[in-house]
Amino acid sequence: MTKMKKTSQICQSKLPDNTALKQQQLPAYRLQLSATGVLSGFFATGAFCLGVGIILILSAKSIKEIEIKYTKICANCAELREDAINFDKECTCSIPFYLSETMQGNVYLYYKLYGFYQNLYRYILSRSNSQLVGTDLKDVGNCAPFSKSHNGTPIAPCGAIANSIFNDTIILSYNLNSSIHMEVPMLRSGITWWTDKYVKFRNPSAINLSSAFTGTAKPPYWSKPVYELDLEDTENNGFLNDDFIVWMRTAAFPTFKKLYRRLNRVQYFIEGLPAGNYSFNITYNFPVTRFKGEKSVVLSTLTWSGGSSLFLGLAYTVTGAVTWLAAFSMMAIHLMLKEKRTLFIER
Amino acid sequence: MSSILCAVNTCKLFYVLYDRSVSFINNLRGGEKDNCIHTSKYNILTFLPINLFEQFQRVANAYFLFLLILQLIPEISSLTWFTTMVPLVLVITMTAVKDATDDYFRHKSDNQVNNRLSEVLIDSKLQNEKWMNVKVGDIVKLENNQFVAADLLLLSSSEPHGLCYIETAELDGETNLKVRHALSVTSELGADISRLAKFDGTVVCEAPNNKLDKFTGVLSWKDSKHSLNNEKIILRGCILRNTSWCFGMVIFAGPDTKLMQNSGKTKFKRTSIDRLMNTLVLWIFGFLVCMGIILAIGNSIWENQVGDQFRTFLFWNEGEKNSVFSGFLTFWSYIIILNTVVPISLYVSMEVIRLGHSYFINWDRKMYYPEKATPAEARTTTLNEELGQIEYIFSDKTGTLTENIMTFKKCSINGKIYGEADDDMGQKTDMTKKNKPVDFAVNPQADRTCEFSDHRLMESIKLGDSKVYEFLRVLALCHTVMSEENSAGQLIYQVQSPDEGALVTAARNLGFIFKSRTSETITIEELGTLVTYQLLAFLDFNNIRKRMSVIVRNPEGQIKLYSKGADTILFEKLHPSNEDLLTLTTDHLSEFAGEGLRTLAIAYRDLDDKYFKEWHKMLEDANALIDERDERVAGLYEEIERDLMLLGATAVEDKLQEGVIETVTNLSLANIKIWVLTGDKQETAINIGYACNMLTDDMNDVFIISGNTAVEVREELRKAKENLFEQNRSFSNGHVVFEKQQLELDSVVEETITGDYALIINGHSLTVYDQWFITLFNIVYTSLPVLAMGIFDQDVDDQNSMDYPQLYEPGQLNLLFNKRKFFICMAHGIYTSLALFFIPYGAFYNVAGDDGQHVADYQSFAVTMATSLVIVVSVQIALDTSYWTVINHVFIWGSVATYFSILFTMHSNGIFGIFPNQFPFVGNARHSLAQKCIWLVILLTTVASVMPVVAFRFLKVDLCPALSDQIRRRQKAQKKAKPSRSRRPQTRRSSSRRSGYAFAHQEGYGELITSGKNMRAKNPPPTPGLEKTLYNSTSWIENLCKKTTDTVSSFSLDKTVKL
Repeated sequence: MTKMKKTSQICQSKLPDNTALKQQQLPAYRLQLSATGVLSGFFATGAFCLGVGIILILSAKSIKEIEIKYTKICANCAELREDAINFDKECTCSIPFYLSETMQGNVYLYYKLYGFYQNLYRYILSRSNSQLVGTDLKDVGNCAPFSKSHNGTPIAPCGAIANSIFNDTIILSYNLNSSIHMEVPMLRSGITWWTDKYVKFRNPSAINLSSAFTGTAKPPYWSKPVYELDLEDTENNGFLNDDFIVWMRTAAFPTFKKLYRRLNRVQYFIEGLPAGNYSFNITYNFPVTRFKGEKSVVLSTLTWSGGSSLFLGLAYTVTGAVTWLAAFSMMAIHLMLKEKRTLFIER
Repeated sequence: MSSILCAVNTCKLFYVLYDRSVSFINNLRGGEKDNCIHTSKYNILTFLPINLFEQFQRVANAYFLFLLILQLIPEISSLTWFTTMVPLVLVITMTAVKDATDDYFRHKSDNQVNNRLSEVLIDSKLQNEKWMNVKVGDIVKLENNQFVAADLLLLSSSEPHGLCYIETAELDGETNLKVRHALSVTSELGADISRLAKFDGTVVCEAPNNKLDKFTGVLSWKDSKHSLNNEKIILRGCILRNTSWCFGMVIFAGPDTKLMQNSGKTKFKRTSIDRLMNTLVLWIFGFLVCMGIILAIGNSIWENQVGDQFRTFLFWNEGEKNSVFSGFLTFWSYIIILNTVVPISLYVSMEVIRLGHSYFINWDRKMYYPEKATPAEARTTTLNEELGQIEYIFSDKTGTLTENIMTFKKCSINGKIYGEADDDMGQKTDMTKKNKPVDFAVNPQADRTCEFSDHRLMESIKLGDSKVYEFLRVLALCHTVMSEENSAGQLIYQVQSPDEGALVTAARNLGFIFKSRTSETITIEELGTLVTYQLLAFLDFNNIRKRMSVIVRNPEGQIKLYSKGADTILFEKLHPSNEDLLTLTTDHLSEFAGEGLRTLAIAYRDLDDKYFKEWHKMLEDANALIDERDERVAGLYEEIERDLMLLGATAVEDKLQEGVIETVTNLSLANIKIWVLTGDKQETAINIGYACNMLTDDMNDVFIISGNTAVEVREELRKAKENLFEQNRSFSNGHVVFEKQQLELDSVVEETITGDYALIINGHSLTVYDQWFITLFNIVYTSLPVLAMGIFDQDVDDQNSMDYPQLYEPGQLNLLFNKRKFFICMAHGIYTSLALFFIPYGAFYNVAGDDGQHVADYQSFAVTMATSLVIVVSVQIALDTSYWTVINHVFIWGSVATYFSILFTMHSNGIFGIFPNQFPFVGNARHSLAQKCIWLVILLTTVASVMPVVAFRFLKVDLCPALSDQIRRRQKAQKKAKPSRSRRPQTRRSSSRRSGYAFAHQEGYGELITSGKNMRAKNPPPTPGLEKTLYNSTSWIENLCKKTTDTVSSFSLDKTVKL
């Protein structure tokens, strides 16, 4: 008898546990592509996409945008900049234009480059984040080919990105009438990400900025050292310079626009940019003809989704339309087959 | 010719001689040839180098290492080293930990084995010694049920004639007992310690080898030589059974033993999926190289045309001043960037999934066999999914299908059938309940377990029908059964074949009780009177004769030949006067066979005294011959076994194991071919084949094959058997689970490939993604849901997969994962990656965020694409998961959540503050994911990549639904309408096949009986201290049979059915 008991105990211990997990009996929902489910899903998705697409297209249409390519307009300046020898010769260029409609609301001023490969693999890596955050000015390890100057002092800010900074100055003036030309008030602040301005870019700590940067050289293409970018505003000087920060956020495509200024809505401009005559006064420094590129200035308003282009709206509309088309044909096929289908099981 | 010379003498010296040229001498105790074994691979010092060396021999790891080296070259390193390092270290550490644990257990078991105690004769005394200290030449004493420590030469044993019984399950997997037989000169030593200690024989034998069934050697002792063969050797790993003690001399120890010589490297088995994957991986690798070349050429051209003008902003690095060289470097960079195209991680995922599946097999209660308390056990984790593709099942013996418990059911005596139920033939199993069994109460020695019942037969016995008497006499006399009386005075039969047991027991119950036998007499009790027959000759069974006869002289002095055997054979030997009876009996036999019973024909012959004497003389002469002895003896047997008088036939039932019929039916519906390898007679095998639906009446060609081209078949079978021996085990685990797994694994393969492709094609002209993303993508974000799906998915529930064995076929035909599927996956992957790249590309072109800032910086673009990818892949997996358990939910939602939390962590200020160069994406997630347009892009990408897949799947299910789809649909319908599970009615077998006879006999027992070797000696030699055990020891036949009977049901084939 004891033996029997013993064996039954052994059986018990060897018997696998009766848990849902071990017996593959976990409560589960079986996903099933039922005809009604799939078809209604398709119709709903199609409707949603069409709706979003139309809204996006409409809002994209409501955006007022003006783009002026000025490489050809300022051909003499462009020619001057072909040759690097003329780097210290100033060249300005004025581009008058007429704004036929008021640009309502916030207006943003961008510069746009064509054919500038800011996404080159070697280009993107050619920077030193530890230098830009102010902790280690001498860390120029990744900055080739712009890590050190000829005499061996580390460049600050080092790297190809910083060296190739967009250095045109763009001033927009409003010609109220033939005699009154006024500069349109622009804000420099708020054109960078908060994290960039306050986390990613920091000046080295020192009593004054120029002493902090002693022992470093300016990038070869720069006309002035980094601590002289904005002598009036310490919060905009050195690595904290907004234009510098914007440039350092490298673009994903060879054609890109970057935010330069935004309209300060005061006085005449409280509603936005009124219609009328304007001109861009550009100090032409950045050479683009060397790489067969082009540059332009862009004035633009925004909508709820930002400065969206037509593409997204069109893509949504097309997707929605295709989805509906697919849904209709699937329904047709399904209904056609329903009658003649003889299931294997039922046979 | 190499040989080992082991010389053992009293001062314990032995000589080893290899190739006769090298020789050295050891003192035995403390010598080199000890019995210590090491199966472990490493020790603490060697673990790291050896294990790493082994691991880097694997293609996957070597590939990773190669990438890592490439990445250390700064000019071409396109990804930082950690993208490769992290997964590599992860995989290698995991494997190393697993190997270390395995080896730890090996060390432990080595230790345990090496420290086992064994009694060794040291200094003329028996002392307990650890196994590892046992040396060649030692004399070891073994006791019953002990493991043998080393390869021994059997010297003596407790059993008569130096016999001993061993179980060799550890060596060859056979569970029946084997007899070993000491030389008569050494068996005289008995247990005499002093004489054993003085044993100084010299053994010259073959070199250590792995042949388990062969041994040649010569023992020189006392100026005479004795040849040694395998019969004298007990190998390490055997267990001594039913022998109270034995002494042996160590011939091979430790690593020289045949067991250790056999434990070589196990051959790694690959499944067909593995093989397919290897091919595909090679293709992918080729594809990768092609892509690399194309992109490198593209790079050269670009550098020439466009990049040249851009030189002011980004001049050449030192040493790479031309575009061709740049292209060359780019090639390697792309090999690194696109490395994820080679689905190396897939191998790891597959391993994990297989491991999970094997646990499910082990855990399955439905595969638990309560009678033996054994759960299913997946012994290898590498072959699981192959179970979904089985085309052939090889069953190793008939006993796998039957219970091997014989019961005497019916007989036909002199043209009358006995043992039939009066009313209904078909319900024979209920017979015992309906009819009152024959009352054996008159016979106190009846075996109660026998079910036979027929009152008419009892009547005939009472009436004294002489034919019936003769019939029963044959059953009682013509057999190899041994009898014994147990302590309660009851008669116990030791049977060598269960058929015989059934027949002798039947005779006993009917009043003809076999009492005892000596080598010259057989004593039976005929209806209460003891009758002793003189056994004159024993015409043994063999496979050609298919019959067995005894010639006895009864007390009246008549000489009779009693014979039983296969009907086909015996009927040819009958006297012409039997014709009428023959037709009648043949009808009866067909009837028995139709019910699946095993039949034997019974006949006798009266022999003339003079004729017999002449014949016997000739037999003795023939036996004395050296040449052609067997032929002559066979001829003489033929001669005397003729003109037989037919008595009738017996029918014995060997019940099929529970559920065999259903299993076989299901398996054949699943298009699995079943082969039974059997040592049984062809007739028996065919009979059983019919009984379990394996053969049906329309399958006549089966016989032609097995009959005519036996040699070929045997050759093929041998090959097949070698390949399949180890897999047999897993076959019996049942096939249901595997269907599920098959599908899952395939979808896993698909998923991972899709994911990878999406990633690669997006690799584009620069590393779009954050490097950390690449590092983690496969490991963290997408692997767990895939694994969860792979492990937990069930496309059809277990009940339905049992009901529709046809579900199995796609697996066999490799329809679920093949090259075509792979290319479809690849196309899908390419489509997905195009959508993933070009939709964000178009949307980001010339766009600004809702705060006016530009969003088209490459970091935001990377975050958008990575997020889209993770979401698309998750949705894909969600769509492929047809069986959503909690775990799937946790893993799928969890991996999306993990993605976002890791994303935010890596883009956080804190981590940037610590490692500014490694985590340049600071603030990115926060800004990008706050943009409405980015979410719109992600949404559109997901819709665009998922919708076509759903549409295709829907159309596929709609247009040409696979069986599993239909079943799923039905399953759902069933659930709604409260399922009423009706099993298909089992069709009763109605076969008209002629049954073969059954006789699970072995040749050679007749000789043992007549020689009297196996009879217990009347006066055992006085062996001090051993008398007690000696008397308790069991008889030879029990020794052999005990084991055999309980192995039969060890295959739990029937478990499949209950699933």
